[in-house]
Amino acid sequence: MIVVTTPSIEGRPTAEVLGLVRGTAVRTRHVLSDITATIKVLVGGEVTEYTKLIAETREQALDRMIAEARARGADAVLGFRFATSEVGRAMAEVVAYGTAVKLRPESGAPPGE
Amino acid sequence: MAGQVEPTRAELLAMAYVDGELDGAEREAFEARLADESDLRRWVAHYRALEVLARQMAPPEPSDHEWARLEGSPLHHSGNLLGWTLVGAGGATLLGIGLWRLCTDSSTGSLPRLAVLCLVAGFAALLALCIHARVRLLPLDPYRKVQR
Repeated sequence: MIVVTTPSIEGRPTAEVLGLVRGTAVRTRHVLSDITATIKVLVGGEVTEYTKLIAETREQALDRMIAEARARGADAVLGFRFATSEVGRAMAEVVAYGTAVKLRPESGAPPGE
Repeated sequence: MAGQVEPTRAELLAMAYVDGELDGAEREAFEARLADESDLRRWVAHYRALEVLARQMAPPEPSDHEWARLEGSPLHHSGNLLGWTLVGAGGATLLGIGLWRLCTDSSTGSLPRLAVLCLVAGFAALLALCIHARVRLLPLDPYRKVQR
């Protein structure tokens, strides 16, 4: 599955637009991580507990979007974006979205390949 | 390669499913099997975890090396253990004392006492259910190894 942030892929014209695909994930860390992160606020620097939380959530949302695109028979997702918001304290919500499309075969490739 | 075991049909199917190589009918048939076969679920989780980790192949930053070294040091390890043990012991003792006082205090009516005990017992039951669900789902969660 090709996932790009651009509205098109050079050399691969869009054959069919299948519509919006999205994946949402909300995750949280356990309370001990939250306490550690709160203590880190006193000294500053990277809060690795929350970096990991956001990264986990981002990957899960991305996979859910790709799964939806695959279920629709897409070859690629164009105009891909992430959006985030805060659902609750110490929770991360990430929405991954884009436009699922079918692509024409690569130029020069025989049809059906 | 000598000693390497050939992947089973189930493993090959799980790989193809995770890579999105199954067509519509094959995917639906595989997903129907997933509901019933725990081995298959574990293979899918395993290959999905590999795929997720493969996306995390950015070179480590200098702070990553230092952070790994700090986490591995005996001072950090024992300090962490001591800190959490003290916090846990203090919290559990305070909770125990609070509950004991509530139960033995004659000025507290039996209804408020019962209400607080119900609250504590209900919270403990819900917490136990959440922990049980998390432990069951943990091996199938490929995202817990994502670092950044």
